[in-house]
Amino acid sequence: MALGTEIIFIVDLLAIYAIYLIINSSLNLEFGYTGIPNFGKVLAVGAGAFVAASIPGRILANMAGIEGDYIGNNISIITQVNVWLVDNTGIGFVVFFLTLGIAAGVGAGVGLLTAFPAIRLRGDYLAITLLALGEGVRIVGNNFTPLAGGTLGVQVPDPLSWLPGELRFPVATIGLIIIAAIVLLYTERTVRSPLGRMLRAVRDNEVAAESLGKDVTRIRIKTIMIAAAIAAIGGALYAFYVGGTIAIAYDRTSWTFWPFMMILIGGLANNKGVLVGTLLFVTLRKFIIYFKDSLQPFVPFDVVWLDLLLLGVILIAVLLYRPQGIFTEKPTKTISKENFPDKEKG
Amino acid sequence: MISLEYDPIFTDAIIYSSLLVLLSMGLTLTYLTTKVPNFAHASFATIGVYLALIASRIWESSPYVAIPIAFVISGAVALALYTFILKPLIRKGASKAIQMIATLAFDLILIALLNITADYITKNYHIISREFTLRSYDGLFMDMPMILFVAPILIIIIASTLIIVLKKTKFGIAMRATIENPDLSGVVGINVRLVYGVSWFLGGGLAGIAGALMSMWFQGDPNLGVFLIPSIFAASISGGFTSIYGAIVGGILIGMSEILGTRFLAGEFGSWLIAYRPLIPLLFIVVTLLVAPRGLAGINWYRIRRLFGARN
Repeated sequence: MALGTEIIFIVDLLAIYAIYLIINSSLNLEFGYTGIPNFGKVLAVGAGAFVAASIPGRILANMAGIEGDYIGNNISIITQVNVWLVDNTGIGFVVFFLTLGIAAGVGAGVGLLTAFPAIRLRGDYLAITLLALGEGVRIVGNNFTPLAGGTLGVQVPDPLSWLPGELRFPVATIGLIIIAAIVLLYTERTVRSPLGRMLRAVRDNEVAAESLGKDVTRIRIKTIMIAAAIAAIGGALYAFYVGGTIAIAYDRTSWTFWPFMMILIGGLANNKGVLVGTLLFVTLRKFIIYFKDSLQPFVPFDVVWLDLLLLGVILIAVLLYRPQGIFTEKPTKTISKENFPDKEKG
Repeated sequence: MISLEYDPIFTDAIIYSSLLVLLSMGLTLTYLTTKVPNFAHASFATIGVYLALIASRIWESSPYVAIPIAFVISGAVALALYTFILKPLIRKGASKAIQMIATLAFDLILIALLNITADYITKNYHIISREFTLRSYDGLFMDMPMILFVAPILIIIIASTLIIVLKKTKFGIAMRATIENPDLSGVVGINVRLVYGVSWFLGGGLAGIAGALMSMWFQGDPNLGVFLIPSIFAASISGGFTSIYGAIVGGILIGMSEILGTRFLAGEFGSWLIAYRPLIPLLFIVVTLLVAPRGLAGINWYRIRRLFGARN
């Protein structure tokens, strides 16, 4: 049974949708709720992808007893690992979740590192610093070969290699959607909790929040760390989904700018906005790529640039004419008292 | 005929520093007025790079012809960004972050248009329009490339003109007053919008000049801005982001450390370090923010000004 092009199209669309949902909900937590302009989102995403590129392959090759230079003979080692994984599905999944855990840890660490020099600064300085640091991820990834194979990239072992070829991507997509749903539930609960209200207080009036005894700097560092951990999971999942990592793919446009655009279209500080904005953007993007080839003969340049041009214009139009996005932020319903009986009574 | 033995790395360092001085002066000028870090600034320079390509390869004249044209066109593009995007956003009360995202979006549009231009040039004129260099179109002066003399001299002229305009002319004083307190300047009859517009035009224009000069020594590419922007911000931030003098010193500091610093470190630790050169501006940003968040303008310039007894 071979899958039709329409199904492949939808499966791929949903997978990219799920990955961007994870990254966008982390950005929404930072930017929408807490007001931290994280223009270095790519840093955490890239960190997660590099973890997926460097760690699970080495662990599995070691367990399977496959010898050789991991980076130099990467393709043959990963092929052997994938064959070995067919009979060791359980280990594959353990290593997969372990990798996500490590990615989250590394992401949080990277978040702390980037937050440290900049967090006490005003919004614009913070944004510049984060943007500049975000450029660093590609430079390091491109040149430090043990991490992700430098300019050649590396392959990532596939925990779903036991599935027959045509089922691999649909099953992976279902898995991604489940993980994205968990992340969204987590962020939704976070923002409805007292912590969520505190984040908005920090965003809307830092001085007032501080006067009420909230340690604003600490809260912002914590938010950056949590968001970076989530984004790193997203990055690792992307690496697993496409089956490889190459440093050059982790550029500012794809992993910082597009997420900002999606949450701005959907509307800041609400998860409904993230869901709809991401869907709109991912679908539009997918269709543009799909129809690119048919448009190519009519223009004297690469259609890719028309895509960038169009998206840039759309974003500026949204900022100018519909700055609140599709869904405006509403006062959130707090979790009902019955859910916290013990805490409330004290 | 005098033939001077020289190491090309010094040419690199001098030209690169001059360009960074120009670029960070322009960036500081726009930041001083609207207080928005303009992430599209580096792409204004790329416009200059392409104008130099067009001047030298299509019109078959000197790339120096492109300098005034780049000043006008890049300035006009910067003015358009301010007038049609930032001004309405500021009027609507958009936050700093939203304004910054708008400049990022504008940068994307510019990069797309530059790439389209590059494709068009290649297709219609059969000229290499990516990763090209115009070194061979530059003249020689004392057996050395002319740009080595033109770049620093032009920068000295531009910087001193700018400083004289800001300090001595009526418009310059109005400009400084607007930077100091826009509301009060409006009250005494200064056209604040005009002042902002002029500083955006000047900022973009200076970047355009830098781009036209850059094409004669470094490689040109439509995506140049992406790689240049951290260095420009590093120069501006280490200069304090609040004064033209700071931008000059910051530009020299970052330019020299990027090129000579990399050479020195590569000599000490091995040539693998060369590839990590783009990390140097990042390091400068982080160190400046940790040690002296107000940059060079925060410490040295105050002391020096007091030393010479200049009024505040």
